[in-house]
Amino acid sequence: MASDLVNITINGTPLQVPAGEMIIESARRIGVEIPHFCYHPRLSKEAGANCRMCLVEVASPRKNPDGSVTLAKMPKPQTSCSLPAGEGMVIETETPAIIEARRGILEFLLINHPLDCPICDRGGECPLQNNTLHYGPPTTRYVEEKRHLPKAFPLSEHVVLDRERCIHCARCTRFAEDIAGDAQLGFLKRGADMEVSVRTGEQFTSLFSGNTIELCPVGALLSRSYRFRGRPWDLMTQKSICTECSNGCNIKLDHRAGRFVRVNARLNEDVNEEWTCDRGKFGMDYLSGPDRLTTPLVRRGNRFEAVGWDEAIRRVAEELGQAGRKSAFLGGIRSSNEDLFVMQRLFREVLGSSDLDHRVGPSFDAEPVIGVGQGQVARAPMSLVELEGLSLFISFGCDMAWEQPMAYLRVRKGWRRGALTIASVARHGTAEDERPSSLAPISAVRVRHDEGGELQVALRLLGEVLRQGGDGTAVPAELAAKAESAVTEQGADAEAVRRLALTLFEAGKGASDGRSVAVWIGEAARTNRQLPDILQTLSAALSAAGVHGVVQVPAMEVNEQGARDLGIAPTWLPGYEQADPAGRNSAEILAAVAQGDIAALWISGLDLATRYSDPAAAVRALESCPFLVVTDLSLTKTAQMADVVLPVTSVAERNGTYTNVEGRVQRFWKAYDPPAGVRQEWRIAAQIAARLGTEIHYASSREVLADIAARVPLYAGCGPDALGDGGVRWASALAGEVGR
Amino acid sequence: MARPMSPITESLTPIAKGLAVTLRHLVTMLRTRSKAKFTVEYPEERREQYPRTRWRHYLTRYENGLEKCIGCSLCAGACPARCIYVEAADNTDTERYSPGERYAIRYEINMLRCVFCGYCQEACPTGAIVLRKEFELADYDRSDFLYTKQMLLEPMSVLVRPKPKPSVQPEAA
Ligand code: SF4
Ligand code: SF4
Ligand code: SF4
Ligand code: SF4
Ligand code: FES
Repeated sequence: MASDLVNITINGTPLQVPAGEMIIESARRIGVEIPHFCYHPRLSKEAGANCRMCLVEVASPRKNPDGSVTLAKMPKPQTSCSLPAGEGMVIETETPAIIEARRGILEFLLINHPLDCPICDRGGECPLQNNTLHYGPPTTRYVEEKRHLPKAFPLSEHVVLDRERCIHCARCTRFAEDIAGDAQLGFLKRGADMEVSVRTGEQFTSLFSGNTIELCPVGALLSRSYRFRGRPWDLMTQKSICTECSNGCNIKLDHRAGRFVRVNARLNEDVNEEWTCDRGKFGMDYLSGPDRLTTPLVRRGNRFEAVGWDEAIRRVAEELGQAGRKSAFLGGIRSSNEDLFVMQRLFREVLGSSDLDHRVGPSFDAEPVIGVGQGQVARAPMSLVELEGLSLFISFGCDMAWEQPMAYLRVRKGWRRGALTIASVARHGTAEDERPSSLAPISAVRVRHDEGGELQVALRLLGEVLRQGGDGTAVPAELAAKAESAVTEQGADAEAVRRLALTLFEAGKGASDGRSVAVWIGEAARTNRQLPDILQTLSAALSAAGVHGVVQVPAMEVNEQGARDLGIAPTWLPGYEQADPAGRNSAEILAAVAQGDIAALWISGLDLATRYSDPAAAVRALESCPFLVVTDLSLTKTAQMADVVLPVTSVAERNGTYTNVEGRVQRFWKAYDPPAGVRQEWRIAAQIAARLGTEIHYASSREVLADIAARVPLYAGCGPDALGDGGVRWASALAGEVGR
Repeated sequence: MARPMSPITESLTPIAKGLAVTLRHLVTMLRTRSKAKFTVEYPEERREQYPRTRWRHYLTRYENGLEKCIGCSLCAGACPARCIYVEAADNTDTERYSPGERYAIRYEINMLRCVFCGYCQEACPTGAIVLRKEFELADYDRSDFLYTKQMLLEPMSVLVRPKPKPSVQPEAA
């Protein structure tokens, strides 16, 4: 490495930096901040270097004809964001000429800038304001008419554009092209008339549009939901976790007067870097929604009556106590780990029931991760960082940008670097092919099948792999025959599947250790119960032939992974210990409810009546349920069918942890007080246990987490003191890695 | 160390000192036969106040009746007592309260916490919030000290009234 370092001097301080590093970054190493607008470390440099704010003076050593070396100063100031460090460079950032140049640049940028800071949502956290205050001229000499354009032009349902304020830094357009991959934003016209725009008649439908709001160094791109809701100094910020998908983006949750206001990304290099997706950024308004429940409800005939907590808990405890083993629990994929742990203790230890399941509908019963090797670490879900370094990623019925937004960004990042090949298997005409942000356009192999064709594709793939050198010794003869006949069958996808098999072998070549291939199975392919068996066989056949990979059913809801890990499942206990006796899965539980075999059902944070794969069947079962208790934030369709509805706290109103798709246990913190009359779910469970004569005593969420760490070996490294701000992956903790 | 005073001496000494001052003034008055008056018969009589006196807040309007306040919350940001609450909303063509895009849909000052420093007036970019000379702000109920936008906003009628005398009008620059 040492040969890659060069010696430079910044403001008289000598330092060594990697050759080719941009000077603006080198300056940061010694705490010299160079003002800038367009530069951003995660965006490409090509269309950059256009704001000219980051000027510095440079002198480089030059060899004279007589062999001596002198420092030659470049005649004009250079943009430090596009100036690679070279041996012997001497850089000055605060000379009178530079100070004057910055003033000039700012005066120039402000020529057409409306400076309507008091009504601008960026005011108070605006780089243009800040730089002007620190480096700009106090007044303007420009007296002519400024550029005028209509204010607050709506680009999409989430984003408005104020073209008067744009300084043409191209951050937003570069983000759309480099990171999100949808390239929906571009520049129209030239010079002072230049404006950011989507194509005529189109909407900015990118799933990542919210990030451009945070990237824009002025108040040109703004959020519609945050519009005029508060100024930065009105807001309080709390560290939190996005609840809209399983990726667990770290967020800053801004609130005002006890109400949720907006979401901004919080830096976590291992999870979301500094991004969020639009589902999360604009999807958390429910936290202070008008339909939040604030008191327990008990059914009296056809209507609900608001009751006190004592009565509600007494009622639920009575019914559950009577039902005993005949009680069941569904959902929990939006509850915290603490809630889930206490809840499963209530059902398993107090009620003696094993009928718990977090899965919605007849999804896979097999293990959620099918990897090579044995032991917990080998079976751990893939980390998001790992995705970047794969040689092949196969999305199997997975609408990545929607279902797994941050994983999508990682895969795309790996692809941009050039080492990662992408293949996508999807049904014809799914969102995957129509979305602006999608893996489809950058997939080397695209397999498209008809509705319900996943199985056929998997069989065909198995057959191809066996033909092309996969190890068939462990493949059951019957399955091998099926696969062989699938290959010989005619079909539009035959060629694509053959190419996919070839790609698999290519990707496996050379990669010796563990995981070079990942198959992620999405929602669309989850309903097929035979698929995991075939994929498991496929994985074994490949791995015996030297292609190592992981077939993964990634979690989709915010704490689905936590529900898996903590044994909200009929066949395993917390930490994937085998459950004995095994209970029934969600489909069987609903069938048992319909048959009157279950006397009390608890559904937590899940609108089963709309989300179940067969909603009508779910409604029928729930209608015939003798006693249904629902814990949720609002009166969902499922809650409307309940006998008792218990309102619970939201993510903003308590401390706790969620486990994200990669098995990272992450903390969130209480931002403001809950409405009077809602309780934390685990406290409800503990109170019910107490009524039934068993003390499950914890003083705080922290204590629950400490107990989880003490009792569940899987989470041993994820105790409250280990987590920090960025969380800990249990797989890394088990493998003894620190910090990842 | 001096011997401690007895409690009686300790409490009587300051009273005696105070009365001595009163007596001195009384004697001076009588000796010089001065007619100078130091007090007024409040509330029947009131003193002229200094031009920069700062008491009750008002939200002012433009000549055409539009509110000057644009709901920018700069006053709230400047307020050392944190006693201003502003909530903004969009002006529409049919419902316009102020010029431009934004107006204050809610504006409240907690007068119990206000220290009448005038920073809000200084911070305001449109000269909307001003502190005037009405100082009789006493009230019976805590909640009555929460001045709402309706209470703070100048009534439309002031716009048609003749201009107030300059001496009582320390407006924002
Ligand atoms: S973008 Fe910044 S400088 Fe421009 S009006 Fe908004 S706050 Fe002021
Ligand atoms: S809209 Fe914002 S991010 Fe995009 S070019 Fe203009 S100033 Fe830059
Ligand atoms: S006068 Fe001072 S304390 Fe009172 S509202 Fe204004 S800024 Fe706040
Ligand atoms: S009174 Fe002035 S500073 Fe306060 S919100 Fe209104 S315009 Fe802004
Ligand atoms: S930051 Fe270097 S030119 Fe914009």
